[in-house]
Amino acid sequence: MYFDSLHYIMFVPAVLAAYQLMPSRWRWAVLLSASIAFYAALRMPLLVVAWTLVVLTSYWLGRRISDESNGIRRRTYLWAGVAAQVVILGSIKYLRVILRLIVPRFEIPTAGMDWFSTLGISYYTLQAVSYLADVYLGTAKPERHFGRFALYLGFFPKLLQGPIERAGDLLPQLRSLGSFNYTNVRSGVLLFCWGLFKKVAVANRLAPFVTAVYYDPHGYSGLSLIAATYMYALQILADFSGYTDMALGVARMFNIRLTENFKSPYFATSIADFWRRWHISFSRWILDYIFKPLQIEWRNARKVGVVGALMVTFLFSGLWHDVALTFMAWGLLHGVYLASSVLLKPWREAVYRKIGLANHPGRRAFQGIVTFHLVAFAWIFFRARSIADGWYTATHLFVGAATRISYATSVRGGVMGAILNGGSARDFAMLGAAMAVWFLGSTFRKTVRLQEQPIWFRWSMYYALILALVYLNAYDDVGFVYFQF
Amino acid sequence: MIKPDLKRVILQELKLDDWQMEAETLAAEIPGWDSLSHASIILAVEKAFGVRFSNVEVLKLNNLGDLQRLLDSKLQ
Repeated sequence: MYFDSLHYIMFVPAVLAAYQLMPSRWRWAVLLSASIAFYAALRMPLLVVAWTLVVLTSYWLGRRISDESNGIRRRTYLWAGVAAQVVILGSIKYLRVILRLIVPRFEIPTAGMDWFSTLGISYYTLQAVSYLADVYLGTAKPERHFGRFALYLGFFPKLLQGPIERAGDLLPQLRSLGSFNYTNVRSGVLLFCWGLFKKVAVANRLAPFVTAVYYDPHGYSGLSLIAATYMYALQILADFSGYTDMALGVARMFNIRLTENFKSPYFATSIADFWRRWHISFSRWILDYIFKPLQIEWRNARKVGVVGALMVTFLFSGLWHDVALTFMAWGLLHGVYLASSVLLKPWREAVYRKIGLANHPGRRAFQGIVTFHLVAFAWIFFRARSIADGWYTATHLFVGAATRISYATSVRGGVMGAILNGGSARDFAMLGAAMAVWFLGSTFRKTVRLQEQPIWFRWSMYYALILALVYLNAYDDVGFVYFQF
Repeated sequence: MIKPDLKRVILQELKLDDWQMEAETLAAEIPGWDSLSHASIILAVEKAFGVRFSNVEVLKLNNLGDLQRLLDSKLQ
């Protein structure tokens, strides 16, 4: 029952009704049951087991860390908790690999269930680690109510792809679950529909063009590689921010505020700025729990220490997505970007001052364009099917013709070829329309406070969104990009 | 609450002429103090006063007041 399915759209109001009918002290139970049912409905039994283990270990160790006064024992509990999450995460993620090591010619009867899915696990294990670390540092109080704690880790809107919530942000909200609030339900539904639009109309329409080229980059000209890369940059943003809006929208219907995950990331003026705007809950996690401790540990090494901490952090980021050379390359690229920025900062400032453009209004626009291109370039490796393909794409962006000469490839080689392979000219036009709506809608959201507008205006906007959803959607059963992590 | 000698070390490290610093001031409010420069500021404070903070102590700092209190506790 993924977010863009009919089942989900029926599931949520049912939960909302049950939630409202319950007395407020049992509302957590409604949400928790709904969340467990949601996870179980995916028919991925090992995930439910893994989630339960994550909840049990982190609940128990959180209390131990807090109740214990001996510093060494507290640290031991913390590291035991971290180790437990790593083991659970690794077991699920590498289950096939592990089983093949034990039983070489391993095949399993599926019985209609998916035994190897990893949906959600990478997110709530990180959240559990964050909880344990915050309890250890005293930043958060441990949650003693088991049901509420389980809900904190399993709340269905954020279960599959985050945001990764901090104890200090989510737990207090779960302690006071308020009644049906019309304003929140209304804005929650709107936010959900907007996210749905981004996913089914924008991301799903960009996907075929990107897939056509990235499936076999050798058959495409440099211009097509560039076009497909730009399109992927937009696809992944629409997909993931669309999911996030759907998650936040549904949570809002229950008066719960989840963290913002995206803040116009492609308007960033530096890579450091980009990471304050992209997948914010994740980048804050790696900042607080990997970068900061390492940076402080290595502070005597000054800039070298900072660079080291950055490289480890972004290598982790790449590997968290998947243990593959492509993601490692992507992570390391961002590490290098940030390390260069740290090392070159004094020179960069001096250069800008020397050429007199330090305070030029165009500077920010220039930095924005450069940053976007650095990010887009790194996305090549994120999307590439193999490191060889990624390297090929990256090194052939400005190489004109296709390498193989034949009628078939000469048609495929150009941007027109990419269009014809990915879809028809009509598809391309629909995509254009969806992109226009996305752009207008995003600008609109930032500049107009819809709730304050007169009723006819608000309802025109609602209808416009519904129409856009109905006419521009390209629904498929493929799932979200970030599901695979 | 923030003593002049601590303030001077921070201003010097961030190459600022002056900045308002109270106990509740957050690092993010001071220009140039971000996650990338954080460790170097801590190091500068340690070197200026001849103290050493533990990693956990540094991670627990929330605002300048915490830093001042931590520093004072090491100097006693």
